[in-house]
Order: sequence, then C-alpha cells, then structure tokens
Amino acid sequence: MSDYLQQSLTGLGSGAVIAVLAIGIVLTFRASNVINLAHGAMGMYTAYVYFGLRNFDLAGADRGGDLVLPIIGLPTSVHVVDRPTVVTALVIALGVAAILGFVVYGLVFRPLRSAPPLARIVASLGVFLYLQSVMQLRVTAAGGGAAALQLTSLLPDGVVHLGDSAIPTASFVLAALAVAVAVGLGLVFRLTRFGLATRAAAEHEKGAVLTGLSPDRLGYLNWVIASVLAGAAVIAIAGMSSKLDPIDTSLLVVPALAAALLGGLNGFAATTVAGLAIGMSQSGLSTFQARAHWLPDFLPKGGLRESLPVILILIAITIRGSHLPTRESIVETRLPASPTPRHVFAWAGVLTAAAAVGLLTLDAQWRLAIVVSTIATLIALSSVVLTGYVGQISLAQYAFAGLAAFITARLAVNGMAFPWAPILGVTAAVGVGVLVGIPAVRVRGMALAIATLGAAVAIEALVFSAPTFNGISGVPRPRIFGIDLGFLSTGADNFRAAFGLFALLVLAVSMVAVANLRRSPSGLRWLAVRSNERAAAAVGIDVSSTKLLAFAVSSLLAGLGGSLLAYELPALSPQQFLVIGALAILALTYLGGIATLSGALLAGVMASGGIVTRLQGGATGDASSYQFAISGLVLIVVAILSPDGISLAARRGFARWRRA
Amino acid sequence: MSALLEVSELRVSFGALVAVDDVSFTVPTGAIMGLIGPNGAGKTTTIDALCGFLPAAVGSIRLGGVALDGLRAHQRARAGLGRTFQTVELFDDLSVRENLLVAAIRPRWWSPFVDAVAPRRGTRGVNVDDAMGLMGLDAVADARPTELSHGQRQLVGVARALATRPRLVLLDEPAAGLDPAETAVLGRLLASLPAAGVSVLLVDHDMNLMLGVCDQLTVLDFGRVIASGPTAAVRTDPAVIAAYLGGGA
Ligand SMILES: Nc1ncnc2c1ncn2[C@@H]1O[C@H](COP(=O)(O)OP(=O)(O)O)[C@@H](O)[C@H]1O
Ligand SMILES: [Mg+2]
Repeated sequence: MSDYLQQSLTGLGSGAVIAVLAIGIVLTFRASNVINLAHGAMGMYTAYVYFGLRNFDLAGADRGGDLVLPIIGLPTSVHVVDRPTVVTALVIALGVAAILGFVVYGLVFRPLRSAPPLARIVASLGVFLYLQSVMQLRVTAAGGGAAALQLTSLLPDGVVHLGDSAIPTASFVLAALAVAVAVGLGLVFRLTRFGLATRAAAEHEKGAVLTGLSPDRLGYLNWVIASVLAGAAVIAIAGMSSKLDPIDTSLLVVPALAAALLGGLNGFAATTVAGLAIGMSQSGLSTFQARAHWLPDFLPKGGLRESLPVILILIAITIRGSHLPTRESIVETRLPASPTPRHVFAWAGVLTAAAAVGLLTLDAQWRLAIVVSTIATLIALSSVVLTGYVGQISLAQYAFAGLAAFITARLAVNGMAFPWAPILGVTAAVGVGVLVGIPAVRVRGMALAIATLGAAVAIEALVFSAPTFNGISGVPRPRIFGIDLGFLSTGADNFRAAFGLFALLVLAVSMVAVANLRRSPSGLRWLAVRSNERAAAAVGIDVSSTKLLAFAVSSLLAGLGGSLLAYELPALSPQQFLVIGALAILALTYLGGIATLSGALLAGVMASGGIVTRLQGGATGDASSYQFAISGLVLIVVAILSPDGISLAARRGFARWRRA
Repeated sequence: MSALLEVSELRVSFGALVAVDDVSFTVPTGAIMGLIGPNGAGKTTTIDALCGFLPAAVGSIRLGGVALDGLRAHQRARAGLGRTFQTVELFDDLSVRENLLVAAIRPRWWSPFVDAVAPRRGTRGVNVDDAMGLMGLDAVADARPTELSHGQRQLVGVARALATRPRLVLLDEPAAGLDPAETAVLGRLLASLPAAGVSVLLVDHDMNLMLGVCDQLTVLDFGRVIASGPTAAVRTDPAVIAAYLGGGA
C-alpha cells in the first residue's frame, strides 16, 4: 500500500505542472473565449529555448547561449549570450514566452475574438501544428532529438522520507509552487482592477469596458501570463523527467484540459486541486497497472495512465452538457457555407476517370501519390460530414481510421479472407464512432472538440499501443474473384494500379453517397441541426439521432480510409496514427472547405505524400514537417480571412470573374 | 368543444424567480386562444415549457388527452405541437423551401439508406409550395432566410411550424415587425387554420390582431393567470383592464 502512497505523492510533481498549465488555459479562456489547444506546444517551445540556452558542456569549449527561433526561413537559432547561468537562461526563456503569448494573441486570437468557435479552434490547431512541426524541424536540424539537450532539473533532487517511502523533494516543491501560483493569481484577480476587469470581461464584453480597461489590454496581459506559466511548467517537468519532445510535450495539454474543465474553466482553486489530483492518480494508476496481473495483457503499458484524464474530460463535459442548448446559450455558430452539390455524377465520373488514367499511365511514385491522396480524401470526407454538414467538431476521425486499419491488418494477418477483414475493421470503427458520439451529442462547440481530442488520445493509449497491434507487417494481398488487388510489389511494377483503381472505386462510391445524403432530407436535417438545434427540435427533428447518424457515417468513411491504409502501407505502427495526424487532416479539410465535397478533395490532394507532394518532387522526413508547419500557418490565415475555405473562395472568385 | 390542450399547474422557476407560477388553462379543439400579458409575464417561458424546451418545468400537459410529460422537444413536435420563436430562429443554411421541407418530412429509420441511393425519393409527394403560396412566399422560395425582410422571416417561421402539420400551433409574437399588409395576410391565415384542423395558441402585442382573431383569451401577469375565457368576457374584465389592457383597448 505504501507504494501507492509513494507513487501518488511522487505524482504531485506532474500534477503541479498539469495544474499550472490548466490555470493558463483558464486565463486565456476567460480573456478571449478560446480553449487554447496549443497551450502545451507554447510551453514546449519555451522549454526548448531554455534548454537550448543552457546547452553547453561545463568542461568543454562550446559556449551555449543559442536561442532557438520558431520561424521558418530564419536561421535555426541566434547566439545571445555565452554560457548563461540558470537565472539568465530562465529570464531570457520566460521573456521569450511572454513575447510568444503577446504575438499569438495579437496575431491570431485577437482578430478572432468574435469569430465562430470552429474558426477559433482551427486557429489554435494551426498554432499547435506550426509550433510542433517547426520544433520538430529544429530538433532534426540539431541532429539528434531531445537527447542531445541536457535536461537538468532546476529543482532539488533529494528525497523526503515518509514512513518507509521515499518521495522526491521536487514533487513537494512543485506542488507548493503550483499552489503559490494559484493563490497569487487568485489574489491578483480579486484585488486588482486588472483582475476584476478580466472577470467582468469573461461575463460580458461590455463589462470590462465599464471598468475602464480595454478588453484588448486584458487579452494581451492574460495571454502573456498564461504563456510564461506554461513555459515555466514545461521547463520544470522536462527537467524533472528528462523528457522533452515536440509532440509528446505538446500533448501535455490533454491532462491540463481535463483539469481546467473539472475546475469549470473558472476558479483557480478547483483547477489546481483537479490538476494535482490528476497527476497523483495517474502516477498511482501506473503502479496499479504494473502490479495488477489480473488485468488483461492486451492493455498497453501506461494505457490506464494516459486515458484517465480523457475519461475525466468526457465525464466532466457530459455532465455539464444537455440535449439542447438553452435560450440564453445560443452562441454564434456560423459555419462555412455548404452549397448543395450539383452535377455529382458528372464530377465523380470525370475525376475518377482522370485519376484512373493517371494510375494506368504514370510511374510507380505517381501511383503511390494518387493512392495516398485517394485515401486521405476519404478520411477528409468524414470531417466534411461531421464537422462541415452537422457542425460537430471532431478531432477523433483519424483515430477511427487507425482503428479500422489495425483491426483489418490484424485480422488479415491472422488469416481472415479479404472482404471480411476490412468489413469487420470498418464495422469496429463505426461502432466506436457511435460510442464516442453517444456522450458527445450532449456537447457542442469547443467542448466537443476537446471531448473528441480526448477520445482520440484514449484510443491511442488504450488500443494503438496494445502489443497485438505493434508493428503489423506482411498483410496478405487482397484478392477478390481471382483478381489480385494487392498494392505492393517489386521493381517497376511496384505500387500496382489494381489497388489504386479499387481505392478510387471506394472513394467514388462514397463521394456519390455523401453527395446524395447531403441533397436528401437526411442532409437537410443535418444542416438544420447545424443551423439551429432548438428550431430543429421544434419541427420534430430528433437532434441526438441526427448527430449520431453523422457520427456513424463519418466513422464509416474514416474506417474505409483506414482499412485501405492497412493494405497500402507496408507496415503499420502506432506512430502513423498520432493525434497530430488528425489535427493535420482537419486542418487541410478546413483549408479546402470543410462543408463541401471539393474541400475533401483538396485536402486529399494536399495531404502529405499525396499529389501535391509528388508535384513538388517527392517527400522526405523534413518535407512533411515543413508541410505541417506551413499548413499550420495557412490554417491560421484562412481561419482569420476566409473561413469558408479555398474551394468556396475560388468559386466566388470565379463567379465574380464571370460577371466582370 | 372538447379540450385539445390541457395545462394544469405548470410551474417554471429560474433560481429564485418563478417565471410561470402554477398556470392552468385549456385550449379547446378548433379554438384560437390568445395568450397576452406585459413583457416578462412568462408567455415565452410558457411556450418553451409546453414544447419541452425546459426540462425543469413541472406540471401536467395533455394534448388530445395524451400526457406529454417526460417527452423531449422533438417528440412533442411529432405529437402535434408546432411552435414559432419570438426570435424567429430559421435555418439560415437552408433555403426557404428547404426550411419548410425539412419540417414537413418525417424520417423513418431506414430513410438514410434510401437517401444515400435515391436523394429525391424522400421529398416525393411532399408539397410545401401551396403553403408558401398562401403566405405570399413563392417569390422567395429559393432565397436564404438571411436575405429576407424581418416580416418575411416571421411568415417563414409560421409556415415552417405549419409544415409539420400540427394539431396545435404555438405562435410567439408572429406579428412583431410585420407591416400592416403582412399583418393582414397573417390574420386571414390564422383565422382559416381551425377549419384546416389546426388550433392556435397565439401570443402577440397587436391588440387589433388579437381581438380580431382570438375567440378565447388567457391573460398572464407576473407568471400567473389573472383571467381566462371567451374574448368578449376577458376584455371587459376589470382586473385585466387594470393590469394590462388599460383604457386604450
Ligand atoms: N433562462 C432564464 N433564466 C432566468 N430568467 C429567465 C430565463 N428565461 C426567462 N426568464 C425570466 O422569466 C420571466 C418571463 O420571461 P418571458 O417568458 O420571456 O416573458 P414574456 O415572453 O412574457 O415577455 C422574465 O422575468 C425573464 O427575465
Ligand atoms: Mg416573450
């Protein structure tokens, strides 16, 4: 038992970090009504700045003091000072964090203050993608991942003895610091004009104006404080755990979101308690899972630990939610326009024929690119249905695709014949999609985005990391009626056209079916729910089942894409289905036009490794990071300037040009 | 006349504020019942509660003898309770015709499968053009609600509620923002509804309209019913005159 106590108390340290991150999320939420999914990524960048500055060998000749720059096109880093001390480095790093908070608010979220939730979420995804990918590039450029940095802890390394257990002093110090931050901020917010005004602004835009402080200044201040806190928190945890990584560290935002939501996105005290509790129970759960031999083997190591915050998120959100929004809570939910698709068969025919000709005449690399784009279009199509047509922002679509891919591959490798393995894989994706949808129908807007992000992380932690799915290769070739539909081969014949044609057929059928649904009464109900849930219920539309239908259709599409991936990829590994991929897909679809079929097509064409990549001359590891970074940027710009996406902007431009 | 809607002891509180305070009334089949009262009297809250938008409401509501308690909003709509919103609330992503279509079509569980293959099958035999004609909306059938005047939007809201073929339609200030010509169209339409099998609960501040079309009136003040009965009797009730109608009406 005392092991559990020891583990839980050790978890105070990470709990404190979660709490401080959560406080930052609350600050930015109250100041600008955005749940900043990039909060962890911002802290991650600051931590790289700090450890980069301190990256010198105490005995050696290197001078350290290089400040890593997060801007593509500029040099990787600039030298600011020789061999900085801890304090100097910390001051510089937190100063940079302050600038980052200022810039992110000023350039991104201030212009989006009154934009619809989807635009704000997408913009925060853009910041996330950008920072994460740029830092990935920087780390690669530095030639050796995070291990190259010396992640030394700022905190005392002793242990405290409690009974017969030894607990790191640092955990207590961190917890004390977190409480100090919460109490300090609490006092500031209660006693100063700045604090009162921020609280007033959270209630009411005009509230702040009455106190005489401009909402703008409040926004900047809150963002700066939040960014500095995030930086400090991530520096602390990276030092303590000797782990810093552009992706995993950015995803610290998930437990932090859980704490912020449990705290009701409001009070600091509740948020801090929630954060500490999450850290402690995560730590306790790790021990529990390591001990409890009766737990089934298929549960991946650390699965319970990673999925706990998610389960908390889902519960917190669902309890607060309701089937219909109330009279007062009707928020501006304008989504990008969704014109009725026309000439569906003509378009489907022409595009399919063009792609088929490409498959049959171009070389193997082109065939690969066309197939990649085809599959990506299917997955993007699932976002078009759920997010575009029904307004349900889901970040879990890629996880559903992954689920179908793993199950298909596992079943096929275990000997299940061709159409059955993918059919079961897709069915599983639909099942899980609907399962996630059931609590999610009580939730809307930002909250839904967080819930589905949570679901994606849970699927990743509980399923993809399971031993049975780890590194599946040698999936047997699909065959039907004696036709070999296999993709992989050797020599000039590699990436066989037959598989490409099959994938195209699946896509064409799916596109036509989605277009039909959109034009039919089912589609009208989707758009009615997206426009106004209360009015929809008033005319007899069952809002919950309308949303569930969309969840089912969209996970079906994602599942189809995933099953095709199982045959397309030479080997499947969990890394191929990271949450970041989901963000990228949603981002690209939003770019293309989230509520149109052509938006899905554009997303597929632009997908990493797809047709656009091929036109640029092929992909390397860095290229895809560049592509993510640039899509992050473009995403922010599109969210601010043209929320309807490229395809509708182009259509309008064309209409203007014809009239002129 | 038999009772179509029977409301008894309906009560809605928001925290300490009791917005609807033990309200009871009956709408007879084929009647046009007016629900009047000053701003904040609880008229909209009553409609919300009747239609299932306020899960916290208590009291009993029967439509055609069937209890509606515990039914969710869309189930009450399907049971024959149509409504409009004071704030209109059209589907801005749909055209005017589609706003009516989506209200008129009742899906079955297999509808999505049919829709995916034959998108036009579901709208076959559903006619909303007559309704639009009746309201003078043919010219704007393909327009988006955002392109319409406020008066036209109000009329679309009423037409949409009627498209669900309700037995009772609850109209929340449908004449607000209408010009006199539009109000006249609306008045004629309302008067014709009972003959078409639709009873009406009408909330509005336009007393000419109310006295012209309503055969029953219920008066709310601070969440309480202060009078209810035939229009002629209620309009001369001293309590009503004191609280609401004043000398003007
Ligand atoms: N969701 C709510 N929360 C708190 N008070 C409310 C809410 N909705 C309505 N009210 C209050 O209930 C009372 C009745 O409002 P309402 O039904 O809109 O009146 P009417 O439609 O007759 O003008 C008013 O005092 C209003 O402020
Ligand atoms: Mg009202």
